Parts: sequence; structure tokens; C-alpha cells
Amino acid sequence: MYDANIRGTLIKGNKTYHQITEDICRPLETSPNYWWYIALFLSFGALSIGTWSLYMTFNEGLGTWGLNNTVSWGYSIINFVWWIGIGHAGTAFSIFLLILGQKWRTSINRAAEAMTVVAVFCAGIFPIIHMGRPNIAFFVFPYPNDRGPLWINFNSALTWDVAAIPTYLMASAMFFYIGMIPDLATVRDRTTSKVKKAIFGFFSFGWVGSSKDWLRFETLSWILAGLMAALVVSVHSIVAMDFASSILPGWHTTIFPPYFVVGAILSGFSMVLTIMIIIRKIYKLQDYITDSHINAICKILVFISLIMGMAYGTEIFVTWYSGNEYEMFTFFHNRITGDYNSAFWIMVTSNAIIPQLFWFKKIRGKLLIVFLISIIINIGMWFERYVIVVTSLSKDLLPSNWADYTPTNVEVGLFIGTLGFFVMCLLLFFKYLPMIAISEVKGVLKSSKIKN
Amino acid sequence: MKTSILGIFEEEDSLISALKKIRDKNIEITEVFTPYPIHEVFKIMKRKSKLQTAAFFYALYGLVVSYGYVYYTSVISYPLTYGGKPYHAIPSFIIICFVTTICSAIFFSVVTFFIRARLYPGKKPNIVDLRITDNAFVILINTQPEMTLSDIKTINSLLMKNGAVEVIEK
Repeated sequence: MYDANIRGTLIKGNKTYHQITEDICRPLETSPNYWWYIALFLSFGALSIGTWSLYMTFNEGLGTWGLNNTVSWGYSIINFVWWIGIGHAGTAFSIFLLILGQKWRTSINRAAEAMTVVAVFCAGIFPIIHMGRPNIAFFVFPYPNDRGPLWINFNSALTWDVAAIPTYLMASAMFFYIGMIPDLATVRDRTTSKVKKAIFGFFSFGWVGSSKDWLRFETLSWILAGLMAALVVSVHSIVAMDFASSILPGWHTTIFPPYFVVGAILSGFSMVLTIMIIIRKIYKLQDYITDSHINAICKILVFISLIMGMAYGTEIFVTWYSGNEYEMFTFFHNRITGDYNSAFWIMVTSNAIIPQLFWFKKIRGKLLIVFLISIIINIGMWFERYVIVVTSLSKDLLPSNWADYTPTNVEVGLFIGTLGFFVMCLLLFFKYLPMIAISEVKGVLKSSKIKN
Repeated sequence: MKTSILGIFEEEDSLISALKKIRDKNIEITEVFTPYPIHEVFKIMKRKSKLQTAAFFYALYGLVVSYGYVYYTSVISYPLTYGGKPYHAIPSFIIICFVTTICSAIFFSVVTFFIRARLYPGKKPNIVDLRITDNAFVILINTQPEMTLSDIKTINSLLMKNGAVEVIEK
């Protein structure tokens, strides 16, 4: 088979297997830099703001939020969709690239999967607190109850979410953890600390690396990958159907499911890029997360961003072509030129225009610019959800219903809280778990050497 | 009496060539331990997994149970019209059933994996050499009662000749 050498060397520095173990386990065995403590302190600060906001929400109720009868979905649903989107990357990265046989994923998939689990957890918080009475959140599950044989509505897209999000969280957490078992065993076998040996021994499930275990491990990885590939696509399609199955102008479109899936992958991949650049720089893992890895992610982002641009364009074109006056109003007078035009233009610029800079090799080679663009995309994707949720709700079919929406400090605080939680979990992950899949990197070392 | 021989290798290629040669001599290899999965080893050791077949049936189970459940609740137990849809609204049921099918397949496959591989939290690892999870590829051959000393010596030299960096008798 023709083997095109387009990826360059996967692992630089002519490493041995032992060196790989040493390099990746180093952060676990040395005390972290001062920046780690500063970042942890800041994330605690953000988490405390979130905790205060959560207390206000539970103690005083949803009246502390800026929602009204018209805009009944605000920040929390925007954040829910944004976090779910970010949570798509880890799985998309590991699974699609595993299925496609892309070896360069090995240096990146672990951190991306960790990010997925935390992001989906952050996302899951929002619908629960949005109910206002989280103590009875279990009402969303179908169970025999004392209201007679009355069941939940299986025709509702919100119920589909209830099935999809916990399944996705469970599946990504299992995929992340099972993939990590051999690496936990590596840490167990090299540590000299008794406490660490006991902890890693407990969590590595007695792994010994026999051919029987490896075969089952590989088979399970493929099964999970195959099933989760379908799950990834379906989860964000279902989130899109929360909107698309309504009759609101701007939401009631058939393009929503694929448009949301692509948007999720765009925001998730750009978050992967942000985190990879940070890991690479701080932990000096340039030999594993090479320029060609960054380059490859940038190229994927250009492609996805083009699809996003196409989706934005299609929405507007179909609105104009349909001649539906309500749709025309929502898109042309509310989004493009109206009260929310700044959010709309931030969305278009950040998601469809700025990522086009990645066409240039020079830009892809400049880490600082790549880092900034990855952050810009994430901000842009947040605004995309803001545009979708707020513009359509604030001015619906009946002008007497129209109302504006301004988030309160409590809502902003909740968002900051989840950001703090996300950063805190990732920092703990960097310190206490192997952030690159050791066994998988060793598996591609041979082919990397052949290329050399 | 020592019951097993460990051949320790540092490279994948030498492990594979040694495995092939040992197999050709009709010596039974008990197990091979590696730091990462190697497909050649699975082939030589004739390892096969039926997990994918099991996963298919778990998926089927999830599909049947979830469809039955949704049908029972929406059509038999409490028929209620939502938005003019029929009680048996197949398009709405597809999504729930799709997700629960995947959920069932994933959950039960993982459980089966742990049961079959006998891995559980806190299990004491029965590891033959601590370097396996780092950089060692190990061939384990259990000695049989009918083996003579010269047979064991032959195995030792076979391992050494084919690139083993160390041979340990345990």
C-alpha cells in the first residue's frame, strides 16, 4: 500500500520505550511548578463564585436569573450546549481517528478524553439546576410512581436528551478509564512510594499486560469506538432537536442536527488545541506533541470551519429563498442587523472567517497565533449558542410577547464556576494521571522510527 | 523445582522472530507479556476474542427491551395523545431506542470485559516481571513434568539466540 509520509515524525528525539515512560510519568513524580498552584488557586476562586451562584439559585430560586416568560432559556442552556460541544472533541478525536487508523492521535487522545468527561459533567449540571427544583430532578426518568401509571413523554426531545447525555457521560468515562488502566499499571510498577503503589494498584485492576488481556482490551476499544462514533453524532443531533422540534423562527430548521454536530467538533477541537499547546509548553512534551500534531489539528479546523461557514450561509439563503416573513425577520432584522447583531457578527467572524488563517503554513507554525485563534473559536462558538437561544426567543411570532434578556451576576457566576471546575479537574488530571497514553505512544514508536 | 522460564526482550521485532522460532519447534508458549498490544503476537498465540459477538447480542437486547418498554408505557399502560401523534409513534421512539441500544451494548461489553479478563479494583497483580509495563517484552514458558534438563537448556538457548537480553528461571 502506498504510505504517504504526510504526518512527519510522530515522536521526536529517538526515544526508547523506557524514556517514553520516564517522560510521561515525570509530572506525576515531581512537584508542580508555581504556575500550577497559581492556576489551581484561580480555579478555586472561580469555583467559589460558582458555588455562591449555586447557593443563590437554590436558596432564592430561578428569580435570581435574568429569565422571563419570553426568554425562558438563557445562559444556562447556552452553557449547556457549549459544554456538550466541547465534550464532543475528546470522543471525536479518539474514536474517529482510531477508526480511520490515524496514529498521530496517540499523543493527544488521553487529554482530549479527560476534557470530554469533565466538559460533559459541566454540561449536565445546567439542565438540572435549570429545573429550579433539582431535588426532584429524577422525575425526568421513567419509573413506576405514585401518580398512577403516568410515564414521561417519550415524544419530547428533552426526554431524548435525558437518555443521550447520561449515556454519553457513562460511555466517555468508561472509554477514558479503560484506556488508562495499562498506564495506571505502569505507574504502579515504577513508583517507590507505598501509598502511591496501593492507590495505583487498586485502580489498575491487577493489569499485567498479557496477550489475552491486550486482545480483549483492543477488541473492547474497537467496540466502544464503533458504538460511540454513532453516539457522538446522535447526542449533539438530539441537543439540536431540542431546538429544531419547536416552531420558533430560527430554530425550526432541518439543518440543525448536522450543523450542531459540526459546531461541536469545531469548538471541541479548538479546545483540544488550546490544551495541547499549554501541555506541550509547560510540561516540555514537544517530542510527543510535535509541530506536525498542531499542524494536523489546524488543518482539521480549517475544514470544519468551512462547513460552519457553509451552514451559516445555507441558513440565511434558505430563509431568503423560502420567503417566510417570520424567518426573514429573525435572520435579517434580528440577527444580521438588529439588537443582537454584534453577537451574530462575532459568531461569523470567529467561527467561519478567522480560522481561515490556518490555510497559511506560516500561521500554523506560530504557536502563539494558533493558541489565540483556538481561544477565539471557543468564544465564537459560545456566541453561536447565544445567537441561537436568545435571538429566537426574545422576538418570537407574537410582538406583544417580545422581551429582552440580560443575564444576572448569578448566571454569569454559574458559568464562571463551571469554567473553574473544568480547569481544576484538568490541573488535577495533569498532576495525578498520565496525560499522554503511554502504551499507545509506545505502540506507534516503531512506525515512527521506520519513518525516521 | 523451577517451573517457568522467562525470556526477556527489549525490541518488538526480536520478540516476534523468537516467538515464531519457538512455535516452529513445537514448544508450548504459556503467555506473552508486552507493554502495548501487538497484533503479530495475537496471531502467533492464536488468540481470538468473541467480545464483538457478545456486544451484538447486548445491543439487540437493549433494542428489544427499550422498544418494548417504550411501547408498553406509551401504548398499553397509559395511552396519552401528545401533539396529535399516534400512541405508537415510531419516529419518536427510534431515538430513545437507538441511544439505549448503544448504552446497553457499551455497558454490558465493559462488564463482560472485566469478568472475562478477571480484572477488578484492588486485584493483586500477578506480574512476572515489573519491567513489562515499562519496556520489557516477556515470553513465559511453563516447564512440563516430562521435560528433561536438556529440553530446558534448549529453550534457554533458543531464547538467547533469538535476541532475549535475559533469561530467568523461576
